[in-house]
Amino acid sequence: MLPLLPLLPLLLLLLPAAHGAVERVGYTPSLTKSPVLEGLTTGSTFVLDQPRCVFDKYSNADIWLVVALESTAANFSNSVAPGTAESAFQNFPDSVPAYMTLNATLANYPCPKPAGDITVLRVGSETSCSGDAARPTCNGPLPGPGPYLVKFLALEGSEPVAETGWSQPIMLRTAKSSNSISTTDGGHSAGMIALTTILSILFAILLAGLVAMFVFWGRRAKGSITFTPSPGHSALTGCPCPAWEGC
Amino acid sequence: MAKSEDCIHILQGLLVFGNVVIGMCGIALTAECIYFVSDPHGLYPLLEATENDGIYAAAWIGIFVGFALFALSILGIIGIIKSDRTLLLVYIILMLITFAFEMASCITAATHRDFLTPNLFLKQMLERYQKAEPANNNDKWMTEGVTKTWDKLMLQNHCCGVLGPSDWQEYTSAFRSTHNDADFPWPRKCCAMDAQGLPVNLDGCKLGVPGYYNSNGCYDAISGPVNTHAWGVAWFGFAILCWTFCVLLGTMFYWSGIEY
Repeated sequence: MLPLLPLLPLLLLLLPAAHGAVERVGYTPSLTKSPVLEGLTTGSTFVLDQPRCVFDKYSNADIWLVVALESTAANFSNSVAPGTAESAFQNFPDSVPAYMTLNATLANYPCPKPAGDITVLRVGSETSCSGDAARPTCNGPLPGPGPYLVKFLALEGSEPVAETGWSQPIMLRTAKSSNSISTTDGGHSAGMIALTTILSILFAILLAGLVAMFVFWGRRAKGSITFTPSPGHSALTGCPCPAWEGC
Repeated sequence: MAKSEDCIHILQGLLVFGNVVIGMCGIALTAECIYFVSDPHGLYPLLEATENDGIYAAAWIGIFVGFALFALSILGIIGIIKSDRTLLLVYIILMLITFAFEMASCITAATHRDFLTPNLFLKQMLERYQKAEPANNNDKWMTEGVTKTWDKLMLQNHCCGVLGPSDWQEYTSAFRSTHNDADFPWPRKCCAMDAQGLPVNLDGCKLGVPGYYNSNGCYDAISGPVNTHAWGVAWFGFAILCWTFCVLLGTMFYWSGIEY
């Protein structure tokens, strides 16, 4: 019995090391900043930078992406195994706090990143398996606008060995209804108002002129003075002296 | 007497010259309006679907007004040279009617141009582009017109949406109800195309990588021709009417001085 006692504290020390020594690497997943992408966040997807030069010590590990809602991230435990119902995309967010997807190894993330390459991960791009319960690691479109938290988890076998921190909350875009677009706020341009006003005035003057013509026609018919036009010329008399005043 | 006869001749000459200009402008107006009605840019389906095709109605009126101005100017020239009161009275009254029609055309073109805002085209594009189940035949016709026009616009002008591809993300649309957001953040026609009409890089297009998708909005490509159309009809008509006003006043003065 006595020789075993010193061994017990050693065993107790070893047990935590076997189950919980997950290294926290100093990397926070983030949305891609360069190049500027139009589709950085859409209604059901978002784009992350690949974790290059982060898990260099773990060449044997599988690197998984863990996606959780901001409200459920605290409930996620690193001991959940990928590819099971507890981390299935199809069960998120109804019965699981987070899902694991986008399985990769260090070979997929070579370091250093070649300059000019666009190295991104599009979360939510697989639409074919989003309802297929036989594919729990599906990278399916996200079910709501979020906000989501993500982190990378490196597993050797089934043991987690390294993780990044949780990212900043990622909000997706929500679409407004197209009925909310107002189409009646155009107003009238100055050109149109000027055009209408001037044309109306001109037309009014012409109508007044027409009325004046008929009035003078009537007046001349009552007391007309005849003039003999010179032969070979037109009958027009008087300019600038109008005929009805009798020049 | 000599002085007043010279005066008569000058007035006659001026009026004949005025009528010649009106005749030529009438032909020019007809030609211009025929060009606009022929829709060289293929934008008529968009305007028809918004039920705001007033600028086309204005152009149609312009075609007939142009002919009328030409015919009446010939009548006016004959009437002035012969100093015939009846002819000139007919000329003045018909010219006033033509003036009224042309005034209607100008005001219609200018007013309806003001309705054609980006929001109008945006709402129509979202509601009609690739709409899956049209309600009736008229709806189907308009939907097909809008879809074909937008496809052609986006391909030829290398643009997407009215203000940009974000239009498809910011608002719900008929397109979104049949095409899921992950595969189609925006229509395929917004992708940079190769010679066969296929996207150069579909993933690049879906991500929105600069160079693989069209990042500009199509509003400039729409409003350019529409503005030319509307202002061409409205302001050229306005210029013709101002000139016609002067000629008509002169003719009225001339008419009232003719001895009968």
